[in-house]
Amino acid sequence: MTPGRDDARRSAERWRDRQTLERRLHDGPAQRLSALALRLGVLRAGAPGRNGDDAWRRGLDVFQSELESALQELREVAGALYPPLLDEAGLGPALRELVTATGAVARVDVADVRCGTAAEGAAYFAVAACLAAADDPTPGRPEIGIRVRVENDDLVLTLTGVDPDQRRPVLDEAAPLGGCAELTGPAEITARFPCA
Amino acid sequence: MRVAVAEDGALFRQGLVLLLEAAGHEVVACEAGGDPLVAQLSTIPADVALLDIRMPPEPDGGLVTAERLRDAHPDMGLLFLSHYAESHYLMRILEIGTDRIGYRLKEKVGSVDVLSDTLTRIADGEIVIEPELAKRLVERPRSEKRDLVASLSERERDVLKLMAEGRSNNGIASTLFVSAKAVEKHVANIFDKLGLHADTSAHHRRVQAVLTYLRSQRGDA
Repeated sequence: MTPGRDDARRSAERWRDRQTLERRLHDGPAQRLSALALRLGVLRAGAPGRNGDDAWRRGLDVFQSELESALQELREVAGALYPPLLDEAGLGPALRELVTATGAVARVDVADVRCGTAAEGAAYFAVAACLAAADDPTPGRPEIGIRVRVENDDLVLTLTGVDPDQRRPVLDEAAPLGGCAELTGPAEITARFPCA
Repeated sequence: MRVAVAEDGALFRQGLVLLLEAAGHEVVACEAGGDPLVAQLSTIPADVALLDIRMPPEPDGGLVTAERLRDAHPDMGLLFLSHYAESHYLMRILEIGTDRIGYRLKEKVGSVDVLSDTLTRIADGEIVIEPELAKRLVERPRSEKRDLVASLSERERDVLKLMAEGRSNNGIASTLFVSAKAVEKHVANIFDKLGLHADTSAHHRRVQAVLTYLRSQRGDA
């Protein structure tokens, strides 16, 4: 069951929509809330009882801390839509950031080329799914290898040291774009994501 | 302090100017992008420039602007403000310089005290790194560093976190309520356990130690 060219085009379009939504969160609510945090700092500087522990000050502290929580939640939503670093710096930096942030035991080897919003987004979330599935602290667990190359206008992702069951979530990301995912070894998955 | 601002979001830019002025600083230049700021600062002196990372010239104009400012005015401090704290940008920033430089989340400088403390430390020559980012890097080491970090005592890990934020020994001592002598001993133990050995001046060695450690965690070295 291979999706037709129109299906693949629509899927690619959805990735661009996700990226646009991330931008809107950044330029809209995130900017408003960050600016409010600064305005709050101005109020706090002129608030009564600066050195005392009074209700005003406690109220402003709660306000500040709630603003920071809202911004953190916005960042998490934005990252789940389309990681900004993926757009700005590409798959290599975004996957290294993901490995650092999750503490996964993984080695990242990504060619320094850009493959478009859709292929990069799908490959990123395919890797994220595999890292999440392998997130256990078993000592001696083999290192996961994440390798990305570009061949014949396909982004080719090779994952080593992974559970063969992970072929399914990888395929779920690759197939809508007209790509594929195969088991190419006992613990190796190779997936193709068309770049166009 | 004389400060300059480049930020493309009008709301945040206005808020920043108000807070800087409330903190008693003089805003000598305020622009919506990197290029006009560089032009302004060719004639106006400033102690610290505050730069958004994601601004014109796209995509990450703050970094390009910082490189140009550091070339033209090596003594000017640089503070990056961003909606995201990411190790990718930390590495890029530390390639531009390892002194008079800082990287903080936009909403975390939302008080007169924190903003002024950050600016003062940068003007004094320090590196200032968003504590949450420093903590993430120290607490989630890559596999080959995991054993090394596991060999640190809890107190040594606290010290390493504060080192990664760019704190001086005295700063660490006052944060942890211990003597500067005790901190020196912890720092020496950390260098020793992480296999980072002395070569040049204490400040340089410290910066290099943190940098080497952070880079090796990411597999970039």
